[in-house]
Amino acid sequence: MPLAEFLEALESTATDAVQAFNDANSNETLETARVEFLGAKNGRLKTVQKQMGTVENDNKKTAGQKLNETKQQIQSAFEDAKNRLTGGTGVIRDPNFDATLPGRLFRVGRLHPITQTIEELKDIMGRLGFTTAGGPEIEDQFHNFNALNIPESHPARDPLDNFYIRVAEQTTDSDDNLMLLRSQTSTVQIRVMENTPPPVRIISLGRVYRPDTADATHYPMFHQMEGLWVDTNVTLADLKTVLQLFATNYLGGSVPVRIRPSFFPFTEPSVEADYFWDGRWVEFGGAGVVDPNVLKAVGYDPEKVSGFAFGLGVERLCMIRHQIKDIRDLFTNEVRFLHQF
Amino acid sequence: MIVSWNWLKQYVNLDMSHDELVDRLTMSGLNHEGTENIDGDRAIDLEVTSNRPDCLGHLGVAREIAVLFDTPLTIPDPQPAEDADPITDHCSVEILCPEKCFRYTARLIRGVKIGPSPDWMLDRLETIGVTPVNNVVDISNYVMFECGQPLHAFDFAKVTDGKIIVRAGQDKEKIEAIDHRSYELQPTDCVIADSSVPVAVGGVMGGADSEINDATTDVLVEAAYFDQLCIRNTARRLKLFSPSSFRFERDVDSAGIDWASRRCCELILEHAGGKLCSGVIDVGQQPTPPQPIVLRMSQIERLLGIKIDESTAARILAALGLDVSAQSVESITATPPSFRKDLTREVDLVEEVGRIYGYDQIPDNVNVPMSASIKQDSERTLDKIRGVLTACGYDEALTASVIPDVWSQTFSPWTDQPPHQISQPMLGVLEKASQNVGAVDRLRRSIVPSLLEVRRINEYKFNSDVHLFETAKVYLPSSSGLPDEPWKIALVSDNDFFHVKGTIEALVSHINPDSTLTTHTCDYDIFDADKSCELQLGGKTLGFVGEISAAGKRSFGLRRRAIAAEIDFAVLAETAVIIPQFEHMSSYPPVTRDFNFIVENAIRWEALESTVQQSGGELLESISFKEIFRDTDKDGADKKRVLLSVVLRSANDTLTGDQADAVSNDIIANCQKQHGATLVTS
Repeated sequence: MPLAEFLEALESTATDAVQAFNDANSNETLETARVEFLGAKNGRLKTVQKQMGTVENDNKKTAGQKLNETKQQIQSAFEDAKNRLTGGTGVIRDPNFDATLPGRLFRVGRLHPITQTIEELKDIMGRLGFTTAGGPEIEDQFHNFNALNIPESHPARDPLDNFYIRVAEQTTDSDDNLMLLRSQTSTVQIRVMENTPPPVRIISLGRVYRPDTADATHYPMFHQMEGLWVDTNVTLADLKTVLQLFATNYLGGSVPVRIRPSFFPFTEPSVEADYFWDGRWVEFGGAGVVDPNVLKAVGYDPEKVSGFAFGLGVERLCMIRHQIKDIRDLFTNEVRFLHQF
Repeated sequence: MIVSWNWLKQYVNLDMSHDELVDRLTMSGLNHEGTENIDGDRAIDLEVTSNRPDCLGHLGVAREIAVLFDTPLTIPDPQPAEDADPITDHCSVEILCPEKCFRYTARLIRGVKIGPSPDWMLDRLETIGVTPVNNVVDISNYVMFECGQPLHAFDFAKVTDGKIIVRAGQDKEKIEAIDHRSYELQPTDCVIADSSVPVAVGGVMGGADSEINDATTDVLVEAAYFDQLCIRNTARRLKLFSPSSFRFERDVDSAGIDWASRRCCELILEHAGGKLCSGVIDVGQQPTPPQPIVLRMSQIERLLGIKIDESTAARILAALGLDVSAQSVESITATPPSFRKDLTREVDLVEEVGRIYGYDQIPDNVNVPMSASIKQDSERTLDKIRGVLTACGYDEALTASVIPDVWSQTFSPWTDQPPHQISQPMLGVLEKASQNVGAVDRLRRSIVPSLLEVRRINEYKFNSDVHLFETAKVYLPSSSGLPDEPWKIALVSDNDFFHVKGTIEALVSHINPDSTLTTHTCDYDIFDADKSCELQLGGKTLGFVGEISAAGKRSFGLRRRAIAAEIDFAVLAETAVIIPQFEHMSSYPPVTRDFNFIVENAIRWEALESTVQQSGGELLESISFKEIFRDTDKDGADKKRVLLSVVLRSANDTLTGDQADAVSNDIIANCQKQHGATLVTS
C-alpha cells in the first residue's frame, strides 16, 4: 500500500472517530463508537493498523509515527467523551443496574440438629482420644442384659419397658433367643470389648428405644452417646476429668460438673453426672466405673484393667443448646424447623 | 420415698439445716427431689435407687444421716410382753409355694380395741401422705415406713380354721381386695388363703373380707418374705401397686422380719391394747448370714483415683452397719449387715467408702494420657454424602425406625421377608392426620415411606421447596441370628426425576470420580411405570429412583409431584476413594465438537453414549448430553434428534483440526453403524 493511501485511511478514521465520540450522548452510543473505532479485534483503527505491513519499508517509520499520533488522537477524543458523560469520574454508570436486587437464590440444605449435635460430640470426644464405634440396634438378650450384669429378675427386662421383637407363636425359642430394640447404647461396650483386647477408648452414638408415649419431653426413640475407656489405671478421677473437659467444650466457659452416687447394674461405683446451667443442676447422664462382672463377661481381667463408661442423652444436649422446647419437633421434620439450624 | 423431718429426729440428731441435709443426702446417693412443709413438719422427697431398699424406711435414711454427720443412731428395741397363751393353739401356717414365698411369720394379738391412732402417729403418717384408717392398720403401715418391711394385719376371726395357707393362685379364683375391687388370680400369683378362700394377694394387698374393722378383736400380724419377680408380675398384671409391693419388688431383709413383727405388736399392745399370744409361727427359709468381704486399700486408689486411709474407710464401713473384723494398712475385712444385700463384693465396699467420703473429693483435672482416635472410612464417606446432599439443596430429616404396616407394605426393595414386628406399638409418634393408619409396630425395611410422610406434613403446612434426605439403617429379617441392619440413603424431592437422578450421579462421582452408574428398569407400584429405574454401580444394585405414582401419592396423601430415591450405603462406600491421588492435567487446549443425531425413538441415551465413548478413544475427555428435540414434520414420528457435545484433548500436544475430525468421523460412523444415527448437517 502506498504511504499516501495509508495516511489517508488514518486521517479519515481519526476524523470519523472524533466526530462519533463528540456526538456520543449516552453510555450506549459511546460504547458503540468505542467498539467501532477502538475495538481490539475489528475496530477501524485496528483494521488500518493491520495494513501497515504492506507499506514500503522506507516509509514504515513515517507510517508508524502517524499511526501513533492518530491512535492518541482517537484515544483522547474517547477519553474526553467519557469524561463528559461520566462527570469526570471516569466511570461509566448504568442507571438501569440495581445492585440491591436479591442474588439468585441458591438453596443449601441443612443437617438435622441431632446430626449436628452428634458431629460436635464426636469431634470433642475425638480430640479426647475416643474413636467412634457402632453396633446393632436390634440386640439379643446377652448383649442388652446378661453381659451388662442385668439379672433375669431385673425390672429393666420387663416386657412393658422394652420393645421386644415379636416372634411367631409356635416358636420354641428360649428367652435367650428373644431379640429386642436396644434400650441403651451400652450394648456397644460389650460388642467392642468382645472383639478388642484392652485398651479401648471408644464412643458410640446411635438410636435407642424405650416404650414411652411421645410427649414434649419423651420420644420412644432417641439417641445416646456411650463412652467407654478401659485400660490399666483408669479411675473415677479420669471419668470426672473427661466429663468436665467435655462439658467445658460443649457448653462453653466454666460449667461446673458434679458426680453423685447412683445405681446401674453395669457400673460400680455408679454415678449420675450433673452440670450447672441456668442456676440449677441439670442431669447430664449416667456413668461409673465398669463393673467387674462386665469385664469378666467379655473376657477381661478386672484385676488387671479397669475403666469407666458413661451414657448421655443426645436429644437433651441438642435441645438445651438450641433452646428447643418440644422433642417431637425434632422428628416432625418440618423444613421451616430444619432450616433454623 | 418421702420422709418426715420430725420422724427422722426420733432416730438421729438433726442439728444441721434442712438445705445442708438434703445436699449431703443428694451427694451420697439419696437424690433430693423436693420438700414440702406440712403442719410444722417437712415432707422430704428422696429418690431411692433400686439397690437400696434399706432406705425405703425412715431408719435406713436416718442411718445414712448418722454416717454422713458422724452422729449417733438410736434404733428402737421392741420387746412386746407375751401372754402365756401359745399362738400354736390357735393358728397354723403352711407354705405350699416356697418359690414364691420364702418365709412367713405370724403373731397373734387377742382382745384389741380398734380406734383412732395417737396424734403423733397420725401427724407423721399425714406428712408422708398416708391416709389413716384405724390404730391397727396405721401401726402396720407405720412400721413399714419405719423399717421398710411390709406387714399385714388380718382380722383373725375371718381366717377360717385359723389356718394360713400360702399357695399359688388358682385359675379364675377371685378376691375382693381392700380397695373393694375384684381381682382374678392365676397360678403365677402368690395367694394367702385360709382353709377355704384367699384372704390376701401375697405381698400386694389384703382382702376386704379379712380387713381390720371396728368389730375386730383378734389380730394376726403377718411379716413375710416374698419373691421379687412374683410380686412384680402380679402387681403389674393386676395394676395393683402398693407401698408393700413396691418394697417386695425391691427385696426386703429377711433377717429384719422378726424385728418388724415385734415392733408392730409392741405398738398395737401400746395403742390398741390386747394380749400377745406367746411365741411366733415362723415357717420357710431362715436367712443366710452375710459373708465377710476383704477390701484391699489399693483398690480404692485403683478405682477411685484417690487415696483414703484405712481408719477412715473402716470408720465409714462400721457406721454403715458393717462388722469390721480386721483392719490393716493393706486391707479391711468387714461383714455387711443383712439389710445391705447389695454389698457382696470388694468393689461394692469401694463404692460405699467413696460415696460417704465424698465424690467431690475426687479431682476433675487429672492428666489424661493422649491417644490418637481414628476416623473410620465409613464415617468419612457418610460425612461426604451428607455434605453433597446439603450442597444439592436437601435438608436432612430424622424419622422413627418403626412405621405402621400400611406404610411398610408400600415399598420394600431390599427384601421380600415380612418386616419384624415389635411387642408393643410406639405411641404418640404419628401426626394427627395419620393416626388412622394403624399401630406403629413394624421395623422399617425402607426409609422412603417415612420421608413421604414427612413430605405430606410439609405439604399440609404449606411449605414449598421440600427436598429431604435421611441416612439411616433399615432392618431386614435374616434366616438366623440378628437381622441385617444396612445403612440406606433416601431422598424425597419436589424436583423432577432427572434432578434427583442428577443428585445421585453427583453423589456417586463425588465418592469416586471414575464410577460408572448404569440404569435398569424396575417395577414398583409406588413409582410411575416409566419415570423410575434401578441404578447399578459396578454391576451391583445401588438403589432406585422414581416419581411417585398416582396410587403412591394417594397412599401418602400427597398433592404435588414427588420423586423418591433410596440407595445402599455399602455399595456406594465400597467405591469410595478416601485419599484421591494426583493425576497429571494436560496443559494443551481442548477442542469441542457438537453432534446433532437423528435416531429412532427407541434408541436410549445410555447406548448412544457408550458408542461415543468407545469411538472417542483416549482423546475423548468428556461427553455431555445437550437436549432431545423432535421434529416430526422433518424426521417422522418415530425419530428424535439428540444433541450432544464432546470435549477432546490430548495429553501430549495441541490437537490439530485433522485429529479432531478423525475422532468426529469415527463417532459419526459408529453411531450410524450401531444405532442408525444420521447427523443433521444443516
